Parts: sequence; structure tokens; C-alpha cells
Amino acid sequence: MSDDRLTHDEWAKAVRDGDLLGQQCDECGAVIGSPKAACVECGARALETVSLPTTGTVYTETTIGVAPAGFDGPYRVAVVDLGEARVLARLEGDAAIGDAVELAGVVETDDGDPAPLFS
Amino acid sequence: MTDAQIVGVGMTDFGVHERPLPELFADAAFEAFDDAGVDGPDVDAFYFGNAMGGQTEDDTHLAPTLASHVGMAGVPCQRYEDACATSSNAFKHAVRAVEAGQHDVVLVGGVERCTPATGLETPAMTSVFATAAHRQYEQPTGLTFPGVFALLTKRHMHDHGTTEEDLAAVAVKNHRHGTMNPRAQFGKETTVEEVLEGPIVADPFHLMDCCPFSDGAAAAVVASEEVAAALSGTPVGVAGVGHATDVVPIADKAELTATQSARDAAAQAYAEAGITADDVDVVELHDCFTGAEVLAVEALGLVDDGEGGTAAAEGRTALGGEIPVNPSGGLKAKGHPIGATGVAQLVELTEQLRGEAGDRQVDDATHALAHNLGGDAATTVVSVLEVVA
Repeated sequence: MSDDRLTHDEWAKAVRDGDLLGQQCDECGAVIGSPKAACVECGARALETVSLPTTGTVYTETTIGVAPAGFDGPYRVAVVDLGEARVLARLEGDAAIGDAVELAGVVETDDGDPAPLFS
Repeated sequence: MTDAQIVGVGMTDFGVHERPLPELFADAAFEAFDDAGVDGPDVDAFYFGNAMGGQTEDDTHLAPTLASHVGMAGVPCQRYEDACATSSNAFKHAVRAVEAGQHDVVLVGGVERCTPATGLETPAMTSVFATAAHRQYEQPTGLTFPGVFALLTKRHMHDHGTTEEDLAAVAVKNHRHGTMNPRAQFGKETTVEEVLEGPIVADPFHLMDCCPFSDGAAAAVVASEEVAAALSGTPVGVAGVGHATDVVPIADKAELTATQSARDAAAQAYAEAGITADDVDVVELHDCFTGAEVLAVEALGLVDDGEGGTAAAEGRTALGGEIPVNPSGGLKAKGHPIGATGVAQLVELTEQLRGEAGDRQVDDATHALAHNLGGDAATTVVSVLEVVA
């Protein structure tokens, strides 16, 4: 099973290619937006990698004014509701809570870690 | 099993301290020792909290260093790191060890220096704080800790109509309380207008919706009921401690505005204490941002869900109101030296239950509650203290 378990590396490669990967628990059916080694609901290790929808709605959002070192504010960060799962993402444009958004790419940190970008 | 009691407390002023961590901590520890009527050799173990010393001061393995500095060399020491809930986690383990009879007298404490004046500048410290978010699935978005609570608070505003003025009312209340606390970092009042005119840190939070960067230390001596009876310090009972966590990262949490770990920890603490939220007379809770207090008063059951937004604006949570929250000024006005915060809450509540809180005294308080939250609302420790009959 561990050979099939979704890794951060695989998740990162996929999101750069426009595919948002998540997991679905074989035991309880829970869908997980941020990859894990076991189900957050039931603890089962039998997690199947699934493609998450790349369209959703803004569940909540903020505009970061004071940014950490390595980031230039202001920019927007949102929790995007994809239906069965949610993901944290950068948000461009003026979408408010409840508005429809879609995956538009990624932003990359200096360390080379991507974050999904929705607009 | 025996009952654990707090028999001595001490803390430094919160603010800027141009002094090494051992020297800063010693001031709080010796105040707690003197209050309890003990000295270093009387203490059996040390439960210590420091969240970020390795990142901010190139200083780790601090617990034995501090124990040696205050005359407790040789005792078993443990250091806790749980983001902002660091030293309340240390307190929980100290209480459990005393209750189990493993130790009779222990020192609990925390120390941290976070001000730009003594350490890292704001962008670098913002980055250090952000390391408590998920490394792979939160940090790359540029999410900050004001941002974490902004996300939770914006959803509360959407669901319940909470306004920026409601949030500002929390800052106004806690600043007013802080004027009565000589140890508070901010000793001046503010207004809703002043809060709303400040620059945006993370929308909806303006600068004055946020707690400051602080340096400081806090300490408490915890002893078994039997040993406490022979000490000179006025004891306060530890009626219950709850400790729970929620899913990380926040996008995977079932409910963002619930702060579920606080609800679970509170349920444990109330059950252990044999009380309900209605029995609580005074509260110190984790108002790292004004919106955090709104969520916490609901999670603790002090007000109904959806009423947290207006609780401060309506005076319900002010000194003299139905349930005084953060009489010390809270993190917002008293300050928030991360690893010291949890124990500093207990210092305030011990003084409240002893009737030693001066101008900010809550009259006839018999039950006090501390709520200390860490990370992206992932960790919460809730402690209930009570007057000893």
C-alpha cells in the first residue's frame, strides 16, 4: 500500500500540471484535500489517490498585508471548497465567500514548493 | 491520586526585555518560589515551555539550563513546544505528575522573546510564527498567523454577521482591562475608530486587532494538596485540565469557526471539574487576534454560537459584565511572549481567585478558566482553577 500512497512530491508535480490530487478512503469514503498517510476520519491506511475538481467556491478568504520574509504582500489566501474536500490556495481577483473560482496555476516559493492558485 | 494545587505564581512585565532568557526567567521563577514559600532544592521537577528559542535565539535544550540557573540543577526537566499553547501543555503534564504522586512540588514556566527590539525584525518573526502552519500545504501560500485567524474570522463574519466594529470592540475592552494591569505591555485605552484606522495586517484584522510581539516569562509552583498545606503560599485548586487537538491543516478541518479542539478540551475540563460554563466566574482566553476571542467565547460555551461577535460590544465580557473575559488585558494588551503565555494566564487567574487582582478584581470569583490555543487552532488546553475551601 505504501508504494501507492500519494506523496507531496507527486502532489506538487500534479498541481503544476493543472491536476489537483487528493485522496479517498477505501474504508469510510472520506475525501482528503491535503495528502496524508492515513484517513483523518477513520485512521485507515487504504487511501486511493483521486483527482479533485479544479473548480469550487470560496469558503473563506483573507488579504495578507504583513507578509513573511520571502513573500511580497498584499496577496490573497483562501480556503476553496471543492465539494467533498477543501484546499488552501492563493486567490487572484476579487472573488468573495461563496463565489465560484477555478484552478489557474500555481505560485512557487523560493524553496520550490507550489501552492495552488485559484481565480 | 491526590489533588494538585497552584501554591505560588510569578511573572515579569510583558514588553521589551534586553536580557538573556535565563535571567528573564529567573525573575518569574523566584517570584513564584517566594510566593509559594519554597526554594530551588524543594522542587522535584521542571516542566518548561519555550516555542521558538532554537529559531529566534539559537538556543535549545533550555530546560536544564534554566533549572541550573535557578537552583534546581539535577531535577528531571522537560521542555514543551506546542506553538502558542506551549506552557499550558507543560502545566497539564506537571498537574498529571503531581496527581499521580510522581512528584510533590514542581515548577512550571515559560519564557520567550519575540520583540523586534531584542530579536528578529517583523518579516523574519512572521516567518518563524508561520512555521507552526503545515509545511507542505499551508506555508507555500504565504499564510501568516494573523492570516489563519483571519480565515476563521471571515467565515464567522459571513455566517453570523460579525462586523469589523464588533472585532474592534474586543480590542477596546482588553485594552481597557490592560490599563489596570501594571504588567501589561499596552497600558493605554484605544477606541473602535483608532482600531479601524490602523493598517491591515490580514483582512479583517487591523494592526490593533492583533496582539503585539512580546518578551516575558511566567512561572507557577504546583504541589500536591498534602505538601501545599505545609507551605506558606495561598493555594488555588486545579479542578480540571482538558487538552485536545484538531486536524491539520485548516482546509481539512470539518468546521472552521468551531475551533473544535477548544470545544473538546473545554468539555474535558468541565467534566473533570464537575462544573458547566455557567459556573465560571472569570476567564483568561487566547485572544491572539480579536476574532480569536469571538470564536473562543462560543467554543467555551460562555455565549451561544453566533453571539460571540457582539459579546464584547454589548459589554457581556467586560469587567462588571456577565462573564468577565481577559481581565489581565489578555494577549491583546498584556502581551504574548509565546512560551510564557499559558502560564501567565494561570498567574492572573490565581491572583483573581485569591482576591489579589487589585482594580481588575472580579468579585467573589470561585471558578476561573484558562483557554490557551496553539497553531492553526490545532491545539487547545483548557484549565479550570477553583478556590480551595
